[in-house]
Order: sequence, then structure tokens, then C-alpha cells
Amino acid sequence: MTRFVLRRLIGMVVVLLALSVVIYAVFYLAPGDPAQLACGLKCSPAQVAQVREQLGLNEPVYLQYAHFLQGIVAGRDFSTGTGVLHCHAPCLGVSYKTGDQVTSLIASRLPVTASLALGAMVLWLALGVGTGLLSALRRGRFTERALTTLTLAGNAVPVFIIGLLLLLLFCASLQWLPFPTYVGLTQSPQQWFWGLLLPWVSLALIESAKYARLTRSSMLETLAEDHIRTFRAYGVSERALVTRHALRGALTPVIALSALDLGTMFGSAVLTESLFGLPGLGKLLVYSVGVVDLPVVVGLVLVTGFCVVLANALADTLYAVADRRVVLT
Amino acid sequence: MSRTPRISRRAAAAAVTVALAGGAAACGPTSGDAGADATPHKGGTLTVLNQAPQDNFDPARQYTTGGGDIPGLVFRTLTTRERANGAEGTKVVPDLATDTGEPSKNATVWTYHLKSGLKFQDGTAITSADIKYGIERSFAPELSGGPPYFRDWLVGAENYQGPYKDKHGLDSIETPNASTIVFHLTKPEGDFPYLATMTQFSPVPKAKDTGATYYLHPVSSGPYEVTENQNNGTHLVFKRNPYWSAATDSQRKAYPDTIDVQAGLDPAVINQRLETSSGTDADAVTTDTNLGPAELAKINGDKELKSRVGTGHFGETYYLAFNPKVKPFDDIKVREAISYAVNRTSVVNAAGGSSLAEPATTFLPDQATFGYTPYDWFPAGATGNPAKAKELLKEAGYPHGLTITLASSTSDASYQGPAIATAVQDGLKAAGITVRINQIQDDSYSSTVDSVKTEPGVFLGSWGADWPSGGPFLAPIFDGRQIVTDGSNFNNAQLNDAQVNATIDKINAVTDHAEAAKEWGALDKQLGQRALTVPLFHPVYERLYGKNIRNVVISDWDGRVDVADVAVK
Repeated sequence: MTRFVLRRLIGMVVVLLALSVVIYAVFYLAPGDPAQLACGLKCSPAQVAQVREQLGLNEPVYLQYAHFLQGIVAGRDFSTGTGVLHCHAPCLGVSYKTGDQVTSLIASRLPVTASLALGAMVLWLALGVGTGLLSALRRGRFTERALTTLTLAGNAVPVFIIGLLLLLLFCASLQWLPFPTYVGLTQSPQQWFWGLLLPWVSLALIESAKYARLTRSSMLETLAEDHIRTFRAYGVSERALVTRHALRGALTPVIALSALDLGTMFGSAVLTESLFGLPGLGKLLVYSVGVVDLPVVVGLVLVTGFCVVLANALADTLYAVADRRVVLT
Repeated sequence: MSRTPRISRRAAAAAVTVALAGGAAACGPTSGDAGADATPHKGGTLTVLNQAPQDNFDPARQYTTGGGDIPGLVFRTLTTRERANGAEGTKVVPDLATDTGEPSKNATVWTYHLKSGLKFQDGTAITSADIKYGIERSFAPELSGGPPYFRDWLVGAENYQGPYKDKHGLDSIETPNASTIVFHLTKPEGDFPYLATMTQFSPVPKAKDTGATYYLHPVSSGPYEVTENQNNGTHLVFKRNPYWSAATDSQRKAYPDTIDVQAGLDPAVINQRLETSSGTDADAVTTDTNLGPAELAKINGDKELKSRVGTGHFGETYYLAFNPKVKPFDDIKVREAISYAVNRTSVVNAAGGSSLAEPATTFLPDQATFGYTPYDWFPAGATGNPAKAKELLKEAGYPHGLTITLASSTSDASYQGPAIATAVQDGLKAAGITVRINQIQDDSYSSTVDSVKTEPGVFLGSWGADWPSGGPFLAPIFDGRQIVTDGSNFNNAQLNDAQVNATIDKINAVTDHAEAAKEWGALDKQLGQRALTVPLFHPVYERLYGKNIRNVVISDWDGRVDVADVAVK
């Protein structure tokens, strides 16, 4: 187990380092001058040069990257003009565009995205695995066809349509719910829940179709395996067969997929965040890419990368729990 | 002047950037709350639902027209725009100063006196030194983002790096006593009172300046102070500044006790919330979100909703811009042929229809304050004049038609995308001109078309006003000395005509706005003959507001519902 954790940790550091190098490289190849963008389109070349110097962009790329790494390990100081802003380790730098510390930018948005992703995952797993199981057990019957049609319909509609329809129905027409606004969990759990309900439902409706299909096919596959047949022959009840034996095996691919989905959700729930006005990481990423705000982009990619790697490690562990044939190395 | 495309019209419209909102005609509110008790009262909470966050809430970093709407709640300036409907609202009026400025004989020295009894939110008196410091710090590279005029206009300011690096300050801003401030300019500028409406002319107490982090707690001189700022302007809460006195401020009515700005919202959701007007949304307005064509169609069928739409105009023109350095656009006959061939009806339809865009034949917006002088040198009528265009093409040596490439953005959000480009394409087809459309990625569109190195032969351009005057509209586009070869260049035709340059200088020295306007109009008419642009349309802004909103004021300066004047009770 220790070896497993250690290997994973080293792997994670390597992946994150590689990611940051790639982003730095892409950034310098891509068009767009961050100094010009921070200064404004009407800035004179001389003024842009001043801003470039202020942002440290006139240094060679490798030095900029070295400062970036140094900031993560030891922290960095930035001038505010009137004083010095100390950015504590792990410092991901300050935004070119706003001068905000990247770590605080991320820290203030992470809870939003985490709330969205985790809540939606609970819902989509319940919905997806539930309908998948039902479809597998009621194979070929009306229930299966109805469920399959419904989940596929959910998957086929983009989130900005489903979301907008839900808003129109529940907030505008019926007025059962207020238009969602994000309130932190610690501020008011109740408002947090109501504010996120529609975003969760929208995401879950879309994601659950995948899980339903996966659960269904994987369940059918497992049910057809030899050991299940043997159990059945020994007279194990159908209920125990499904819940105790088949489900366990059938869930392994579901676990793997949820880990991936959860990880990527941290940077890619942009449309949902935009539609529901949630100040999350995805929205920040899209905006920062548009204004060539390198420190923020690198910071966000690292955080998303971290989430994906972590989620995968978690999935591997759960794998071993679910399927005893798997050994962690 | 500002180019509106880049970030998208929506983002640009946010108060930070130059105002976008819409402009001409004597509009103002379509008066929704004509009920018995329409008198505005103090109190309540006004909600503002916006797309773009009010980021970097520092007076040095804001690029506003007339001081902006939300910034104007906190940052008072030497002069400001008159809060009045329609054309009346394009006037400059005194704010912190006693008048709009005393010019020297040649308009190179401008003197202002402060009103007495002006105070910051902490009760200390506002002095002329605070205003000088406010302008000086806008030069600091740490606080970039403001407009470019200070560097161009103030003596010795070209390479000034702000008070953090250069403690001495600018000698061209004098403060002979605590209530007097004098500006020395490099050239005559009759429009100085308009510039003095920008937030850089807002006082900043040196002792409270925290540089790059000042935006979190800016010191208020206006009726409200910032009490909450989350995620850099995504959620802002403003409460009353106890030291602001209505006696010194004739413009801001400041009815609500609290103003709650929620940004980062989706435009469809903003309009849906305003339409539903439930709960606090009944007390809501937006400063950056227009109604789209579909939403308008629905609203027009509903009397109650229609009564809650404010129509506004902001001086802005969308046009085809030619680069005469690229063949065949070096030939004026070809440019004229395209001017004749263009079908403005399909272009207006592509922009959302006649309620959201008005066809344009002049470069200047059709408002008196810009000096609007009607002309139509190459009359294309409503749908184009292909016969005349073909004739001109024949004269130019293209009897069998012509193939050209039109550059557009990939996004329709800024009216410079595929929708408008294909509408132009259709019109020109009838005249035998085949148009290929070259779509340029939206986020690099302006940097491509506004660089002399990469500028295409013809592209979809736009220009909006930094203040409602002909100067900032015509000079950057047609003044030969404003051609920038190693940065953003807005003189896209690279016109450098001694006579035009001299005329611009002459009008800049005129301090009587009406007189200057007349001359700008004449210059526009004269420039139009050169067919360097094909004006297409001026946008119109249609914006919904909540059920309880009263005292709606929409000026032609920025075309938006004025948040400083609106009441919720």
C-alpha cells in the first residue's frame, strides 16, 4: 500500500510538472500579448513596454518558469506600487489582468465547483446506476425501453437547453424555486442546496445516460458469468445474487468512469457555471484563456490536473475494494 | 473612442470598459411606471443583474464613458454627464468642480475650482491634491487599463511612470491651493471638460492608497461606498456614504439605501429574471444586457412587459473598413462600387432587425452632439444599387465582376461575425462581386485588423464614443499622426492628409461644443467622399427592467438606465 501511494505521488508530481511546461510552451506559441491586453488596446507601445516589465514578461521564458517553480516551493513577493504583496508558498503567481493572487482566486472558486461536481455526481450515480440496474433486470420489457429512451433523451440535449428549460419551468412559470444564486455551504446550507439544485439536476440528467448504459451492459455481462451461474445453481436467491455478487463486479467500470468525470468536471462545467451564474473554476478558466492570463491558466490547469490524478488514484483504490482480484501495486 | 469587439460586445459593455450602450434619438424610457404613485422615494435595495463583473474597481483602472454607471456611484469626478433623458443627457455638467472648467485663450490651460464642503467617506475633506494624485497614479504600470488621453494631452506625461516610481509628480498639474487645480496641455483641447468626466479625475487620498490592492477598498467620494466585493467585482454591495451631501451633487439622486450588483450571469437568464420580476428581481435593472430579437418579439406582444423596456442610444457605428494599401481597394472606384452595392436592409436584419439597428450612411452617429450632418455620397437605397456598382466596376477595369475577401470575427456577439458578413456578401453578389469570408478567431480579431502588419483589405469594423463629441470619433480613425506602426492602429485606411490633420487641430481648439460639432459634421461629410469606410448601421439598445423600478433616466451619452437615478420605492 505504501508503495502504491508513493508511486502515485511521484507520478502526480511528474504529470503536473509536465502539464505546467506544456501550458507555458503553448502560451508562448499562441498569439496575443498579455501586456497589451492588461494595458488596454489603446496603450502606446512605450506604455505596453512598462506594463510588460511590471509583469516580468521581458524575462526569458525559462527564467519566468523558474520563478514560477520557486513561488510554489518558497513563495514570492510582488510589488503593489505602494508596498509589497507577499504571496505565500505554494504561490502560483498573480493574475496579469487583475493582480489577484492565483491561489486565492482558485480558493474562492473551488468550493463552488466542488459543490457543483460532487452534488451532481451523487445525483447522476443514483439516477444512472438505478436506471441501469432496472434496465438490466427488466431486460426487453417496457420499463427498459422507457428508461433507455428517457436517459438517451437527457443525454442528447445540451446543458444550456436543459438548464434553461428547468429555469423557465421552475423559476419563471411555476415559481416554485427562486432563480439560483450561489450561497456558500458554510453561510447557509439551505440556500446552498436550493441554489445548486437545478444545476445538479441539469448535469445529472445529462451525465446519467452514460452511467445507465454502462451499468446495464456491465450488469448483463456479469450476470452471464460462470460464477454467477454457479451461485444460482447453488440456490442463492436472485436478490442476494444481484446485490451481493453481481453488482460488485458490475460497478468497477462505473467507478473508473465516475472518477474521470468528477476530475474533469473541475475544469469543464463551464456551460453549467455560466448558465446558472456560478462563480466556478471553469468560467474563470475560459475567461483567463481569452485574456491570455498565464498565471491563472497554469494554476487552474494544475488544480484540474491534480483533481483528475487524485480521482484516478481513488478509483484504483475503490477498484481493489470492489473487485478482490485487483491488487494495488 | 473605443473599439468594441474583442472581448465581445457583452463583456465590453460592462462598465469597466468603454460604454457600449446604445444611442441616438430622443428616446429615454418608454415610461413603464406611469401609475398613480410613480413618485420616487428613498429606501430599498436596487439589484443590478449583469454579465460582466465590475473588475478592478479602482478609479485609475476603469475605462468608462462619462465616469461609468456603477463606478459613478462611488467615484465623483471634476465634471460629469448630465443625468437626463435623450439628447439633454449628452451635456457635461460640473460635479466636484464649480463649473465645467475655465480654458485659457487657446484651450491649452484648464482651471477648475472645487466646491466647498466635499468629503471622502471617512469625513476628511477632498482637496485638489487628491485629484492630482488620482490622475498621477493612473500612469503606474501596476494600475494599467485606463484610457490613453492623459499621456497624449498632459505636458511631460508621455513617459511618466506614476507616483510610485517618480515621487515628484507631474508639473503639468498644478494645485495652487486646496480648492484649485490647473492642467497644462500639450495642444489645444476644447473637449477637456468631457475627459474630466472619466474616473481618473476622481480624488484618491494618498495616505489610503494601497496600489494594486486599492480596488478592494477604494475611498468613496460619491453617495455610496463599497461594503462587499467578492471575486473581484462578481458580487458587489454598496451602502450609503454618510459624508456625501446631496447639496453638493445635483446629478446623483441616490434613492436606494443599498445597491447589490450580481455579475457573471447568463444573458438569457438576466432577461428571464427581469421579465419574471419575482422577489428582489422586481427591483432590478441591468447595465450590460440587451434584449435579443426573439425576446423582443415576445415582449412586444405583452403590454405590461413592453412598458418595462428602456430604449437607449450610444454613439456607435458599425461599418466596412477598407485598407487602401491592399489591391483592389486602392482604387476609389472599387470602394465606391462596394458602397453602392451594399444591402443595408439585410445587414440590419442580420443585426437583429430594425428595433436593434438603424441603417447608417454617415460615419458619425446620428446625434447632434457628434455634429451629425446627413450625407449619402453613394446612395445604395434600402437594398443596394447593383446597376450603379457594376458600372463603376467596369470603369475600374472589372467588367466581369470581382472576387474579394472580407475579414470577420468568428463571433456574432460583437456584430462583427458571420451573420453580418454573409448579409454583406449577399448584397454584393447582386453587383457581381463575389465575397469570400475570412473568419478570424474572435479573441485575436482586433489585434489582427488593428495592426498595420496584418490588416486585411476589407473587414467589419466598429467605433464607439469615449464621450459624445466628433473629436474622439473622427480623430483616431482619420488623423494621419495617429497611425501607429508598432501597436494598435485605428486609422485603418492609414489616411495621412495634411489638410484633414490641420482641420482636426483647428476643431480641437474650439471650446464651444455646438460650434465644434458643426465643424466635425462638415469634416465627416468631406471624409465620406473618400469612401474609406462603408457605414452600415448604428445599434439601438433595448433593455428590460423590474416591476418596481421608477425614475428611469436613459441619456444619449451612454444609453443605459442610470443606476444613480433609479428608485425602487
